[in-house]
Amino acid sequence: MSRFTDPLTGADAVGDPTAPELRDGFDGADANAQARDEESVNKTGTTTVGIATGEGVVVATDMRASLGGRFVSNKSVQKVEQVHPTGVLTLVGSVGGAQSFIRTLRSEADLYEVRKGEPMSLHGLATLAGNFARGGPFFAINPILAGVDEAGSHVYSIDPAGGVMADDYTVTGSGMQLAYGTIEGAYDREMSMADARDLAVRAVEAASERDTGSGNGVYVAEVTDEGVDIEGFDDTDAALAER
Amino acid sequence: MQDQNQQAYDRGMTIFSPDGRLYQVEYAREAIKRGTASVGVRTADGVVLAADRQVRSRLIEQESIEKLHRIDDHIAVASAGHVADARQLVDFAREQAQVNRLRYDEPIGVESLAKEVTDYIQRYTQSGGVRPFGVALAIGGVDPDGTPKLFETDPSGTPYEWQATAIGGNRETLMGFLEDEYRPGRDLDSGIGLALETLAESDEDGEIDSEAVEVTVVDTETHRVRSLDADEIESHLAELELGGESDE
Repeated sequence: MSRFTDPLTGADAVGDPTAPELRDGFDGADANAQARDEESVNKTGTTTVGIATGEGVVVATDMRASLGGRFVSNKSVQKVEQVHPTGVLTLVGSVGGAQSFIRTLRSEADLYEVRKGEPMSLHGLATLAGNFARGGPFFAINPILAGVDEAGSHVYSIDPAGGVMADDYTVTGSGMQLAYGTIEGAYDREMSMADARDLAVRAVEAASERDTGSGNGVYVAEVTDEGVDIEGFDDTDAALAER
Repeated sequence: MQDQNQQAYDRGMTIFSPDGRLYQVEYAREAIKRGTASVGVRTADGVVLAADRQVRSRLIEQESIEKLHRIDDHIAVASAGHVADARQLVDFAREQAQVNRLRYDEPIGVESLAKEVTDYIQRYTQSGGVRPFGVALAIGGVDPDGTPKLFETDPSGTPYEWQATAIGGNRETLMGFLEDEYRPGRDLDSGIGLALETLAESDEDGEIDSEAVEVTVVDTETHRVRSLDADEIESHLAELELGGESDE
């Protein structure tokens, strides 16, 4: 809290840097939200992969939602969504928390852009996402933020406690070890977008084979400075780059 | 009768007069004119802020008259008008600059900061039981992308962007001088010269005492606020023949 109050509303005039600017709708968020999220709600289990290249980033996600990884509650979930003109976020963890997180981040990025006349940098967006994960009403999420800005291609993992880590490639979700095994050694920063796309799809495919929380196809997002392109495939082979 | 009518729109909170004026805001502008002048000049490689800090008594510690304030690494503010009001806005601006860093891990843009401050000022023209801020600020700095920017805040809460501006007493005279003399593409040194020459217009003899002026610059190379020390100011004054203290 700052020492400045808004003379009109009596509210803090400086604002909480960890809270969304658009707070309406969260004011009523009850204290049990976290507890609810930890019970048997829809979770994504999930394998989500983000790979950065010189030209852009590729994100691939599986399509399964499950209850505790034991029952497949949905077989066609889109777990990667656009949140920025050249940025995407994956949906990992509690479905409710992740969807709410995506909506909030998207509106914050839009608001920033109209107010300041230029899109938010990916670093700024990642910092904001980390703040929200740490201090906001979003629980049990572990997404990847990936995108392109003036500084280049970026992949960030955001952990439930608000940790933000940039990397050349990153994987989150229950199938992460399997996907990492596929990418490790095969990644090259200079690789083409088509090669990165194949690698990301293969990584999700490997996790889908043996992780019970992942499967049922793959969504692929390609982000370049031109924008975002997202497409879903029931058959992983169909998701590979066209050559 | 006329006087009584006017008084009704004149007291307490800011409300419109029948002809659409906000007297309290206009009075706040009068308060600014009572202060000594501050000048802002934008150049190709940075922004210059200069302020007159003449004092009424030789016993006061001149250093204690603060009219230029650092807001963040890359933004400074010059004030004119009520010092106490200026201090509130300066601290509000400092907090907003830090909020931007906490929120986005990025330095705040000069325009964004100016608008945060003017939005805050505006609320004091639309609330009961408060009075508007009797101060104008010249907000100068370098954006994260390296663009120098200069803004002015007004008691109504309107932000203005300038190439060069003067706030405070003698504003019309100083603005007239700036309008004649300002050229885009000056370098920082020449911008400091213009700012000092403009301040000298306030003086009857066209002279400045180096002790009675503050100069702060933000350059596009370092993106850092830097206050000129007395020796630097004196050498600028000597070069401009504006009568540095050591002349006689």
